[in-house]
Amino acid sequence: MKEKLEAILQAARQAAEQAPDEKQIEEIRVKYLGKKGELTALLKQMGSLSPEERPKMGQLVNDAKARVEAVINARKERLKSAAVELKLKAETLDITLPEKRVNVGGLHPLSIVTNDLIDIFQSMGFDVLDGPEVETDYYNFECLNVPADHPARDMQDTFYLADKILLRTQTSAAQIRTMETRKPPIRIICPGRVFRADEVDATHSPVFHQLEGLVVDKGVTMCDLMGVLEQFAHEIYGEDVKVRFRPSFFPFTEPSVEVDVSCTECGGKGCRVCKGEGWIEILGAGMVHPNVLRSCGIDPDVYTGFAFGIGIDRITTTRYKISDIRLLFENDKRFLEQF
Amino acid sequence: MKVSLNHLKRYVDIPVSVEELCEKMPLAGFEIESVERQGAGISRVVAAKILKVKPHEDSDHLQVCLMDVGESEPVQIVTGAQNIAEGDFVPAALNDSYLPDGTHIVSGKLRGVESHGMLCSGEELGLTEADYEGAGVHGILILKGEPKPGTDIKEVLGFDDTVIDFSITSNRPDAGCFLGIAKEISVVLGTEFHAPEISYKTVGGDIGDYIGVSVENADLCPRYMGRMVKNLRIKESPEWMKKAIIAGGMRPINNIVDITNFVMLETGQPMHAFNYNDLADKKIIVRNAREGEKIVTLDGNEFNLTTDMLVIADGERPSCLAGIMGGKESEIEDDTTDLFLECAKFRRDNVRHTAHALGIHTESCARFEKGVDIKNVEYAMERALSLIYELDAGDIIDGAADVRGELPEDRVITTTTGKVLELVGVDVPKDTMVSILNKLGLKTELDGDKMTVRVPSLRDDVEGSADLAEEIMRIYGYSHIKGKPMRGDVIRGKKLPEREKSDKIKALLTASGLREIATYSFISPAAADVLNLAEDDPRRNMIRIINPLGDEYSALRTQLLWSMLSVISTNVSRKVEAGRFFEISKRFFAELPLKAQPAEIPTLSLGIFGKDEDFFALKGIIEALMKLCGAHTEYKRSSEPYLHPGRQAAVYANNTLAGTFGEVHPAVADKFGIDMRVYVAEIKLDVLYAINKRKLVYKPLPKFPAVERDFALICDIDTPVGDLERAISAGAGRMLEKIELFDIYTGSQIPEGKKSVAFSVWLRSSEATLSEEQIETLCARIIEKLEKAGGTLRK
Repeated sequence: MKEKLEAILQAARQAAEQAPDEKQIEEIRVKYLGKKGELTALLKQMGSLSPEERPKMGQLVNDAKARVEAVINARKERLKSAAVELKLKAETLDITLPEKRVNVGGLHPLSIVTNDLIDIFQSMGFDVLDGPEVETDYYNFECLNVPADHPARDMQDTFYLADKILLRTQTSAAQIRTMETRKPPIRIICPGRVFRADEVDATHSPVFHQLEGLVVDKGVTMCDLMGVLEQFAHEIYGEDVKVRFRPSFFPFTEPSVEVDVSCTECGGKGCRVCKGEGWIEILGAGMVHPNVLRSCGIDPDVYTGFAFGIGIDRITTTRYKISDIRLLFENDKRFLEQF
Repeated sequence: MKVSLNHLKRYVDIPVSVEELCEKMPLAGFEIESVERQGAGISRVVAAKILKVKPHEDSDHLQVCLMDVGESEPVQIVTGAQNIAEGDFVPAALNDSYLPDGTHIVSGKLRGVESHGMLCSGEELGLTEADYEGAGVHGILILKGEPKPGTDIKEVLGFDDTVIDFSITSNRPDAGCFLGIAKEISVVLGTEFHAPEISYKTVGGDIGDYIGVSVENADLCPRYMGRMVKNLRIKESPEWMKKAIIAGGMRPINNIVDITNFVMLETGQPMHAFNYNDLADKKIIVRNAREGEKIVTLDGNEFNLTTDMLVIADGERPSCLAGIMGGKESEIEDDTTDLFLECAKFRRDNVRHTAHALGIHTESCARFEKGVDIKNVEYAMERALSLIYELDAGDIIDGAADVRGELPEDRVITTTTGKVLELVGVDVPKDTMVSILNKLGLKTELDGDKMTVRVPSLRDDVEGSADLAEEIMRIYGYSHIKGKPMRGDVIRGKKLPEREKSDKIKALLTASGLREIATYSFISPAAADVLNLAEDDPRRNMIRIINPLGDEYSALRTQLLWSMLSVISTNVSRKVEAGRFFEISKRFFAELPLKAQPAEIPTLSLGIFGKDEDFFALKGIIEALMKLCGAHTEYKRSSEPYLHPGRQAAVYANNTLAGTFGEVHPAVADKFGIDMRVYVAEIKLDVLYAINKRKLVYKPLPKFPAVERDFALICDIDTPVGDLERAISAGAGRMLEKIELFDIYTGSQIPEGKKSVAFSVWLRSSEATLSEEQIETLCARIIEKLEKAGGTLRK
């Protein structure tokens, strides 16, 4: 019987190892291990053995069953993984084929820049406010130290809607509204849309965007103004840019300065972008005029402040090297999709 | 303000290069608009003597000249000009020379004869008759005198000047003249300033015997000065004066007119010269124009005057528009013998209004509009008389008419050095502060920390310590300011809640594939008609701009739709096949005529087009938007005239109308040249901003299984699916998890006028697994509600 067992074991192992697919493996399992299988048949023949031999033989047959089982399972695993491999190979893709498009939208470049600016100033503790686009003469001019016959009004071509009602020419109007409602310390910015009667061309638009900043507190100086603007310039134009003040005139600040940054294109050596000057004018700023503080009920002997006005469109066109401001308002999808 | 550098050197020492000057002045507040170097672009053009002229053998108009150009050998040059003779001195452009227009001259052959350069005309050197006598003639420029051959032509022509255009800010009219800018340069460079010397002799007589001067409106004319000059000797002005006037952008005419213009350029104070003999009744009356009066000005134009305009009249009629332009009647001409010279201050707003009303712009009114100094009036008059005497232009009669009130006292500012410096935060030494102010003509005394500054009327702009701080810093140098980081309580700034919400809305929309656009806030008033708005539609009441850039930009928008459709139109016309756009901007509403600031309604506009888009794609965006804002949404049929009547809806957020949307009416799309279906929406963001979104609290995930039941219904074809959904919802109550529409069908097996609608409904309890019995009860209730809503279960 032992010899018979060995022979069956040998045959089963061989058959399992050569089985080409899972179906045949299953047949082999039935042939040797099934209810009518050969090893099962051996167990049934044990009745002819002596009582001493029976447990020994039983043990041997069960061992053989386990071994055949293991061989069959191993073969089954191998066949399975080979099939998977084959399937995966057949499924190989041409990864250079076009993707399924995810249609992501996007913000207008002016909004992107505005958000960047808001972020910079918010992190420095500036609150972000809004003001009306239609303003009164009082807030847009008079309170900003620009009386009716003042030649500074000629600096700005104003769209009028009615007597003393106009489209704001500057976000500076927000300064006054803020100082009327808040008490120092004040630290605000007001980004928004402004309007001037400029004929449309590559660098002029009757609708454009500014960001006004205002700080009023005890002991605020031009050094604080420089500090804030340096921080802004470094974040917008790069850590290496230098900032300089140049005297200028705005009716609502005194002293007033134009603020230049060293040319981002040539680093200050002089090039076409900075017209050989090495500097690019980026904004106007100054210390809030005592008359302006006074007309808002803030005592200029106690408080000082500074204000600045940043041209958002200018930063946008400079950042993305947009040669014509009209592109910003034309809204060609192929333009918008680049941002 | 343009000024000749050579002329400036008469008033101030400028020991630095033009480049250095142009680098320093902007840092003191005077930007440089432009720098023109005379003779720029001319090289290797020299004075040359014509030694010999002979005709060209092959040409009847060319001549061959042998030229002495200062080299060892004479040079042969062929010319076409006929106005030359042997012995003439002329400009010769040598081989490899350049002319101002960029022309490069090289040796060559003209009809077979070698020519090593070109003889030049005045025009070719960029000259006019005003620059050099004979420069305007047709032909070669014949040089005066006998310049040494070989001398650079720029030297021969006196082309050593540079004209600098300084930008003068509107607070500094005092600096907008030769003397003013020269003073500034002297302070910036730390060099001497030399005021022109004033001295003249009079010939006796008394002005009172010649003319009576009266001012009827002293408010508009705070000071009026007049002088008489007899026996005029009208001739050309000297070269130096002509050059200064040309550099200043004006044209020399004759010595008298030139003196008035030169004094204006030099002192900033305009003057006017009247032909004395043309003044009726020998009277000068400064008064308002009378009803119906007219004037013909120097340029020959006739103007109808109104009574708010100030004129200088003689006994009969207006003879000059005060501060703007003289009358033709009393113009100085070559044969004028006697002169009445005016120097005055007119109120700037009146000059401005009159000039604007009549559409005249002159050098004179530009200066009056900026404001002239009442004390400078007298100085300018003295300077003019001094020049008349110096140039021997006439005999000055004794006595001056000077009609004015009290002259204002100099402003005195009392402050402390600390107060001045507190604005700048830089420790400027006290004596430096005092010295800078004094150099600028602001007489300053220091007593400990106390500063007393006497401000001359010329520097009316200096009002207090802030102005003093600016004056000191622009000379001391802003480079001394070192930036300090922002200080104060450490806080992050806050945004307004509206901006917080609009930021979130923008994030949702961009994530949904929409691109933000930016369009003008003003549009054409015709937009209302284009959109077929009804006669009584409030969106027709657009606020108009009084002075628009054009009709197409003349109305503040009451809807954003027109702009959106214009943008889509532009894109479609450029073959962009699909797109999703949004804009957040303001709409303006007010009662007209406008009396107060209008309501500014923050509004969202949406526009989508392309083959994958439809009404429900737009509805999907709106639904997501409403959900973001925490709104309970309802849709109702709407009737916007610009939308497809059957494909539009109004959306309600928490029972408030939030906006309308739908497919654009094909007739409207057609007006925009759009030949495809376009879907637009306009949403009132103020409604969405006003919703108080409930604080988000996590909801536990379900513990018990859901059951799905399908309901196939037959209903009338026009029964809204929304009604059926509401019925299901009512029937299932709080056990309802979700409803999904999975089929709508009309056609075979469905009776005419009916449709089949099928839903999957998920029911779930959060407390236990639903029993068969419970499910049956719920389904029965749903069916009952559905039947009430017009839907019967399909068998």
